[in-house]
Amino acid sequence: MLKINNLCAKIDSKSILQDFKLEINPGEVHAIMGPNGSGKSTLSNILSGKKGYDVTGEVLFENNDLFSLETEERAHKGIFLAFQYPLEIPGVNTNVFLKTSLNAIKKARGEKELDAIQFLKLVKEKAKELKFDKEKLGRQLNVGFSGGEKKKNEILQMSILNPKLSILDETDSGLDIDALKTVADGVNALRKKNNSFLIITHYQRLLEYIKPDFVHVLMNGKIIKSGGPELALELEKKGYENIN
Amino acid sequence: MEEQLKIDFEKKLKDFSYSDQEKKFKETNFKEFLKQGFPNRKLENWKFSDLNQIIKSNIGELTFYNDYKKENQIDKIELISELEHNKIIIVDGKIEKIDFKFEDKDKIEVLVEQGEETIKENINSLINLNNAFSNKFCKIIIKKNYSLKKPLVIYHSTNKNTQSKNTNSRIDFKLEENACLRLIDIFKENSEKNFLNIYYNFQLDKSSILKNYKIDKSINNNVKYSYNNVKQETNSISETFILSSGSKFFKNEINCDLLGQHSSAFVNGIFDLDEENHHEIKSNINHLVENTKSYQLVKSVLEKKSKAVYQGKIFVNSEAQKTDGYQLSNAILLSENSEFNAKPELEIYADDVKCSHGSSSGSLDENSIFYLMSRGLNYQEAKKLLINGFLLDVIEKITDEEIKNLIKNLLGVKE
Repeated sequence: MLKINNLCAKIDSKSILQDFKLEINPGEVHAIMGPNGSGKSTLSNILSGKKGYDVTGEVLFENNDLFSLETEERAHKGIFLAFQYPLEIPGVNTNVFLKTSLNAIKKARGEKELDAIQFLKLVKEKAKELKFDKEKLGRQLNVGFSGGEKKKNEILQMSILNPKLSILDETDSGLDIDALKTVADGVNALRKKNNSFLIITHYQRLLEYIKPDFVHVLMNGKIIKSGGPELALELEKKGYENIN
Repeated sequence: MEEQLKIDFEKKLKDFSYSDQEKKFKETNFKEFLKQGFPNRKLENWKFSDLNQIIKSNIGELTFYNDYKKENQIDKIELISELEHNKIIIVDGKIEKIDFKFEDKDKIEVLVEQGEETIKENINSLINLNNAFSNKFCKIIIKKNYSLKKPLVIYHSTNKNTQSKNTNSRIDFKLEENACLRLIDIFKENSEKNFLNIYYNFQLDKSSILKNYKIDKSINNNVKYSYNNVKQETNSISETFILSSGSKFFKNEINCDLLGQHSSAFVNGIFDLDEENHHEIKSNINHLVENTKSYQLVKSVLEKKSKAVYQGKIFVNSEAQKTDGYQLSNAILLSENSEFNAKPELEIYADDVKCSHGSSSGSLDENSIFYLMSRGLNYQEAKKLLINGFLLDVIEKITDEEIKNLIKNLLGVKE
């Protein structure tokens, strides 16, 4: 599904990712763990098309050259990024935003757009599953939401848009244990044989609830070690410095 | 220009048989205008908008005479269909039609007079110009305790072949105690390169409510100036909302004198400008007695080489304790060549007041754009959504639901 080969990324000639390689197959859950500044967020930004990076190398998503696609085209193809810091968008109603987003994606795929009634039914159902306060859907997007509510809102968007590849950028940071479980349940509900996940995190905590198939350790812009779920536990014990 | 002014003024005086008093009034105003000419940047009030220069470069030489005996065609003017309304149609400065068909006839009085001067103060040279050249004054009185059932829409238009002309119109309004008027100004000109000069006086008696919505949305090459002079007695409310967008140049000036306790004034506006349009809002809110309130919010979205100016003044005299005055302006500059000028002015002589002002300008937040695009919206859609969101809180200040929806439709703001 996703093939990353020799990816190098720089900002203002400062090298962030070097010779990065990763392959994710349909249905797989990959976790990338690494200390602050190792390049985790850069990776998620580059995959979803944020401007401002000088990149070389190759990224293929279902055999499409990702770098030739705009941010929104990547979303149309099924890539979703749950933001580490979801933005507050004043004046934009959460429900209106969700509907606009879903229908933009449906339209690009040549599918039938949802009308207001169909949409409200869907969003109500998903919000209930995620224990997301319905009243918040009528409010301005993320404005005045707590950190946990913002993260839940990301997962709600993910479950409504039903992407093929979901990238979760430190979704666990700032979540209390109950919210963490709800978020994990939301992710697990989406785990199907064709949906893949790339989970970026500092801690192994989230991985207790979302069992990854593979764990990669990212240090200084490179994957220095890959393994199964047990690698996360090892990291937790030894710390990043002593992993090699 | 002086030569042309004199010829046109002579012609005008011959058109009607004015009484000596009327003639004197017009002549005094004419002389004052001759002396001062169009305002230029040497005047503090006009330092961001040099009208003399703007007329020169956009229109060239103006003529000032309008034949008020001539019938103007009004069937070419596109009326708004979204809401039922009373109407006044003004063409080339002449009131062609007054129609209060939705109202009780004995609750509204319309007086048409030849130049009785009600306001003695010398405001500026454009008011002099207006007084010298405008046709009959129209005075509209809304009787005690009467709220108009439907809004009044004033259409400002020009004839197809009117060009390089100055047109002047003036209407005085009196809202008696507890009366209520919703007034919408709509600009629908049929020709280009004219200078429209509009002057309103409002006398708001005790507990009356005026809501004035000025909608300049049709794209045109005209230059406009509008002056609202509002006098407010106890408990009265004035709400002014300006959607400033379509004209080449438009300066809206709002003067509110809060003369009675617990009176309040709201001035809100949107500049939605493109190309080389240059618009200004200048407000003077004068808190003259205790316990009065004013609130101003102006938001700008500026494309290409457009320029917006907001000069908001709050004046509090020494008797006006417990004044509550607030003003804020925010601008989004969508191009490196667009320009926003804000000059907040607070002049306060009382010591127990709450007054504040603020202004910000910047570009669209790229991170917010990225966030929306990552959810499948293209750049244009993301930009539109952010701009609508930015404008929403000022639109929400409109207290009339019907008119709020009309303005939302005009701006393409969906909810």
